[in-house]
Amino acid sequence: MIVLGIDTSGYVNAVGLADGTRVLADVAFPAKTDSLEQIVDNIDSVLKSAGLSLEDIQGIGVGLGPGSWTGIKVGVTVGKMLAFSADKPVAGIPTLEALAYAARKKSLFIYAVINSGVGDTVYAARYHTSKNGVSQEGEYFTGSIKDLVPLINEPVLLVGGDIKRYRDIILKENPLIRNKVKALEALPSGAAVACLAAVRLARGMKDNPLSLTPLYLKESTAEVFINKYKVK
Amino acid sequence: MLILGIETSCDETSAALVADGTKILSSAIATQLDLLKKYGGVVPEVAARRHTELIGYVIKEALDKAGRTLDDIEAVAVTSRQGLISCLMVGVAAAKSISYAKNVPLIGLHHIEGHIFANILSHPEMPFPHVCLTVSGGHNMLVHVQEKCRYELLGTTLDDAAGEAFDKIAKFLGLGFPGGPVIDKLSKPGNPEAFSFPRPMIKNKSFDFSFSGLKTAVINMFKDKIARGEKLPLPDIAASFQEAVVDTLVAKTLRAVEMKDLKVVSVTGGVSANSRLRQVFTETCKRKGIKVFFPDLSLCTDNAAMIAAAGYARMMLGERSDLRLNVFPNAPLGG
Ligand SMILES: [Zn+2]
Repeated sequence: MIVLGIDTSGYVNAVGLADGTRVLADVAFPAKTDSLEQIVDNIDSVLKSAGLSLEDIQGIGVGLGPGSWTGIKVGVTVGKMLAFSADKPVAGIPTLEALAYAARKKSLFIYAVINSGVGDTVYAARYHTSKNGVSQEGEYFTGSIKDLVPLINEPVLLVGGDIKRYRDIILKENPLIRNKVKALEALPSGAAVACLAAVRLARGMKDNPLSLTPLYLKESTAEVFINKYKVK
Repeated sequence: MLILGIETSCDETSAALVADGTKILSSAIATQLDLLKKYGGVVPEVAARRHTELIGYVIKEALDKAGRTLDDIEAVAVTSRQGLISCLMVGVAAAKSISYAKNVPLIGLHHIEGHIFANILSHPEMPFPHVCLTVSGGHNMLVHVQEKCRYELLGTTLDDAAGEAFDKIAKFLGLGFPGGPVIDKLSKPGNPEAFSFPRPMIKNKSFDFSFSGLKTAVINMFKDKIARGEKLPLPDIAASFQEAVVDTLVAKTLRAVEMKDLKVVSVTGGVSANSRLRQVFTETCKRKGIKVFFPDLSLCTDNAAMIAAAGYARMMLGERSDLRLNVFPNAPLGG
């Protein structure tokens, strides 16, 4: 099953193709404020390079975030409307899971970490390697990177963007875990999203394209304000 | 030519199917009124998140209502210019995805051009050239419409748009949101001459508008009355405020029509649904032998049918956007 994977949550337009869990293409196009401008062109160029067109693929995987709010709104809208228009099954994949998948190692627990764009606040989740990829343990985490420190009690692999800096912050908090914490720099990957989507779609776990929405993991500023001050 | 129109520039998620730029086969609009009431206005990030949730459903509803599928669509028209950036992005992302997947042309449009076409769509017989007043919560412009898709901007608002002034006064008086309809209704039994509010820039030679001074005058008068313990006849205040806005809009528009030596006026946008504005325009224009047109009430507020109609006109001129179409929140109307 050939699946197209896209993820625009991390200031790159990540576009990939996978046949099952075999990667056919994985490209990260630089995208700052022009992710909307480029994304369909990027998809088209990856398909063309593989000698394929949209009709040739059997499914679409969409990185849901968390990450750039603008980026994920664009990526999720493009993914779901492509799926709806081309009548292809779609699977939404949390970007943290795709990061962990790209770094899967049997011996280590994985913490996928994504910068929230505000101070040292991060989105994170813990995964272990499983038969079909990775499995999440526990809830998503949103908070200071320092608050992850007490949760690290066995060897872990941190994966994400700017990850060495996060490792340094963690080790400054607790130098005793120095040899328990490894770090792997990684950006969202379209191929990882495609592979995870292929596994899900093969098991019949497709999402309704119309209801697919981003995984923000954080309320907008206005929602925070309303909930805090109970404005009516 | 069957066009799918998409409009998400502010707080309405909308899709419509329009045939040949004139026949509305369907129109689906999801308003975010619940959010507006909760937050007392439009919050861009909250509105954009809602657009992302609704866009697919709204497009599906427009197709279902018309009994068509995406296979029947021959082009996609979308608002890409003027509006809230994060909101515009959702519509454009959807539009280019459909265009790419269905291999049909795409065209990005200016939101105000859509409003101009709302009235052309309602009145295909409306002659060109004409002067168009577009007035809503987000915009307030006088445009010389030379012919379809050829515009000369005569004036715009220097601060608040008229609809924004309605919203702010309604909010201040505790009447709720949106302000236009509630003030319109409340004004019905009121005396429009009870209070003399300023008619901002009415004598000014330019065709620009400014409603923030009027808003301040109403608020100050209100506070003054409260401080002196006087009774507050809300319908009179609402009617007098509304009259000042209407007088200003009508006077400026008619001066523009006379300056251009034309006999046709088009009034469009959310505020063009205001009953007093329609009445005064109709009476004044009749006296002066000028024809005035208003859109159907369903086409006054933001909707995608007007975008599809404008898109058809532009495509007839041979215009197309490519798949790199981007959004421009502050783009001028252009010509
Ligand atoms: Zn509008």
